[in-house]
Amino acid sequence: MNIEISDLHFTYPSGVQALRGISLTIEAGEQVGIVGQNGAGKTTLVRHLNGLLHPTAGEVKIGDWDTRKYSVAKLAARVGYVFQNPDDQLFSRDVRTEVAFGPKNLGYPKEQVEALVSEALEMTELADKTEANPYDLSPTWRKMVAIASVIAMDTPIVIFDEPTTGQDAASVARIANVIRVLRERGKTVITITHDIDFCAENFERVIAMSQGRILLDGKANDVLGQEEILAATYVDPPQLARLGRRLGFKETVRNEEEFLAALKNMSA
Amino acid sequence: MNDRLSFYRKRNSPVHALNPFTKLILVSALIFYGLTAKGFWTATLMVAFVLLPLALASKLLKEYVGVALKVILPTAGFMFVMQSVFIPGGTTEIFRLGFISVELETVQRSYLIASRIFLFISAFVLLLLTTHPSELMSDLTRRGLPPQFAYVIISTLQIIPQMQAKAQTIIAAQRSRGLDTESSFFKRAGLLVPLVGPLVFGSLVEVEERAIAIEARGFTSTRTKTFLHDIPDTPADKFIRWTLTLFIIISLAARLWLS
Repeated sequence: MNIEISDLHFTYPSGVQALRGISLTIEAGEQVGIVGQNGAGKTTLVRHLNGLLHPTAGEVKIGDWDTRKYSVAKLAARVGYVFQNPDDQLFSRDVRTEVAFGPKNLGYPKEQVEALVSEALEMTELADKTEANPYDLSPTWRKMVAIASVIAMDTPIVIFDEPTTGQDAASVARIANVIRVLRERGKTVITITHDIDFCAENFERVIAMSQGRILLDGKANDVLGQEEILAATYVDPPQLARLGRRLGFKETVRNEEEFLAALKNMSA
Repeated sequence: MNDRLSFYRKRNSPVHALNPFTKLILVSALIFYGLTAKGFWTATLMVAFVLLPLALASKLLKEYVGVALKVILPTAGFMFVMQSVFIPGGTTEIFRLGFISVELETVQRSYLIASRIFLFISAFVLLLLTTHPSELMSDLTRRGLPPQFAYVIISTLQIIPQMQAKAQTIIAAQRSRGLDTESSFFKRAGLLVPLVGPLVFGSLVEVEERAIAIEARGFTSTRTKTFLHDIPDTPADKFIRWTLTLFIIISLAARLWLS
């Protein structure tokens, strides 16, 4: 399911111009990381994808649906959105009920809900915590509950808003794994993040935003190599990319494998 | 989203420049006099000839009139109508509506009460418009108000807009999970748990964090505290306060003797 955004403008009632002309196409199955300074309009942009916000001007289409013509509850069948703070959405007495809330709202048959919930719990490594009260879990596990509760909705598009903030290394690895599995299943994943290493390692396409506009959009290697332009939105290229540049690599490297390959290339 | 639950509007005016305590005394004196004076028109005249000029001097006439017309007038007006119509007790009947008789005495008494309520609320609105709540509390704490009391007032003013913002986020998060908030009333009753649950849990956690945070900064320390902001208290302020206090004492004494 493609996402089609054309000349999107958005102004908050307070008069703040958050988006100033965004045009963007995201193909089905793409993995996109969105980076940029605070206030660049990242969250405002993704909130348009499931209809939480409606364009002041321009248009957002999810598949054949214009977001202005469908309620958020309807759009939830196409776009799953994991909010930044899990405490903003958890209310059930146990993890399983919590995770089943979304798929039930979407009206899936009972057996399918059961299957989706079990699968989501498996994917987020929560299978041994299904009976726990979400509020008895640590914040990192609460985050996984929030992620599972959206994944269980089985939407073709999944949005993560700063999934790695405040998470330990093990939790970040779990989130990366969830994104990998979603990619294998052909889901579109859009992730807002300030964690540039996480972005470099998990996303093929990166969009850099600044002051309500798209600054850069392209292959992760190309975007993350543009040190000067990224500086305008307070984003530093990943450490390995910067090191590679100091070493005189021609190409921008994103991860250890690419770094080692480039190093061998140079010494050869 | 509301940014702050405060009426305060910053202006460069002589009323804003007054010490917060002076303004509090001023408003208390106005209210006290308005509520105790016997004259039928006293409260009305005070609104017209004291509060309106004060609002004008504060450069907040538009805001004051706005609040007065949109909030205070409907409240006072509603009370006036209800009391006039439904409280019996007069002798001079003006007109009859079926079994309801409206008497001149009741209407007069209702008007007196309504005009006093109007004065009471609008005097406070003027205080809130011209005084930043934390400045008022800070000044009162310096004058001996228990800091716990000031904290309760200030934190309430801060927490409410925060809770509003949080409620908005929760609604957005649950709608994103397919919760239909635009459905029928009966379906809506079932929405309460997913929306209120996170709000209550979150608020409890926040209260604890706040308590720890202020304790970490020595909130309950028994030492004499110093104040970061200097709130000016001029001789003019003192003069106004004493004049007003004296005025109230004299008017009270006059009433006791003359009645």
